Amino acid sequence: MNSESLIAIAAGAAVAITGMAAAFGIGAATQKAVESAARQPEAANSILRILVLGASLVEATAVYALIIGLIILFTK
Amino acid sequence: MEFGKELVQQISSHEIFSFSLFGINIPVTDTVIVMWIIMAFLAVFSIIFTRRLKLIPEGRQNIVETIVEFINNFTKDTVGHHWEHFAPYIGTIFIFLIISNCISVFAVIPKGEELYRLTHVEFFRNLPDFSIRPPTKDVNTTMCMAVMSIIMVVYAGIRFKGFPGWIKSFVEPIPVVLPMKITEYLIRILSLSFRLFGNILGAFIIMEIVYFLMPAVIPAGLSIYFDLFDGVLQAFIFVFLTSIYIAEAVE
Repeated sequence: MNSESLIAIAAGAAVAITGMAAAFGIGAATQKAVESAARQPEAANSILRILVLGASLVEATAVYALIIGLIILFTK
Repeated sequence: MEFGKELVQQISSHEIFSFSLFGINIPVTDTVIVMWIIMAFLAVFSIIFTRRLKLIPEGRQNIVETIVEFINNFTKDTVGHHWEHFAPYIGTIFIFLIISNCISVFAVIPKGEELYRLTHVEFFRNLPDFSIRPPTKDVNTTMCMAVMSIIMVVYAGIRFKGFPGWIKSFVEPIPVVLPMKITEYLIRILSLSFRLFGNILGAFIIMEIVYFLMPAVIPAGLSIYFDLFDGVLQAFIFVFLTSIYIAEAVE
């Protein structure tokens, strides 16, 4: 196995593993948001707002993984 | 492999021309030119739509009042006290970010070289290598926006707490948190800028791959999600986080 294919595997693994974790995080947050919105429909607006904030914070980790993957790929 | 090179070509910013000022060579990239186009558009839009305002709105004044009212309500909800000081800044970066994130829908306009390949008109060949790409896919732009937002947060803290109160807020619950509070400002800059940059760049790369693999019909549907929805959502998240930081500084 030469170094180029190792680099490709490393970049792919960085994005894939972090993406999996971020997907679990956003899934859990959305599940709870849907549950509480169903229980209290009048609070749906503020729940949506908090959900968007939390999802963006979780999603940031996946985005960092993407940037790190690009750095691994392009700075050899 | 050929596509990889083309993708790198697409996501890096190109120098269109450069000028020297006081002996320093300043390159002007296509990011800057797209930003100038957006700025000119917004300036002309603002001037045209705010001329001859009337007490009872009609026609185009209705559009402007809807936008301004939305921004005012948004700032009032998130910032709370003293919202009227921050509504102009929040609104400006909101509108600017929405337009600069969504401008990648114009990426289908062909470049000069492609037009030459299609039509064989010599004029198109000599055009500079320029195509409209979102300026927020360049990390320099988003870093500037994040630094501006943090300057605004510091200004809010000093303006409404006074300078001694602002210094005191660094050691507020216990003095041990001082290093954390200082690094928090740096981390906010990094997280604000990389979140916006990474999201727009990711969407841009996906759209480029889709344009390469399936050039017809399918990009139209995906473009609605990746260009328009994601662009508006990321702009919203950026101003939302900025206003939360401001609210925290004002309290």
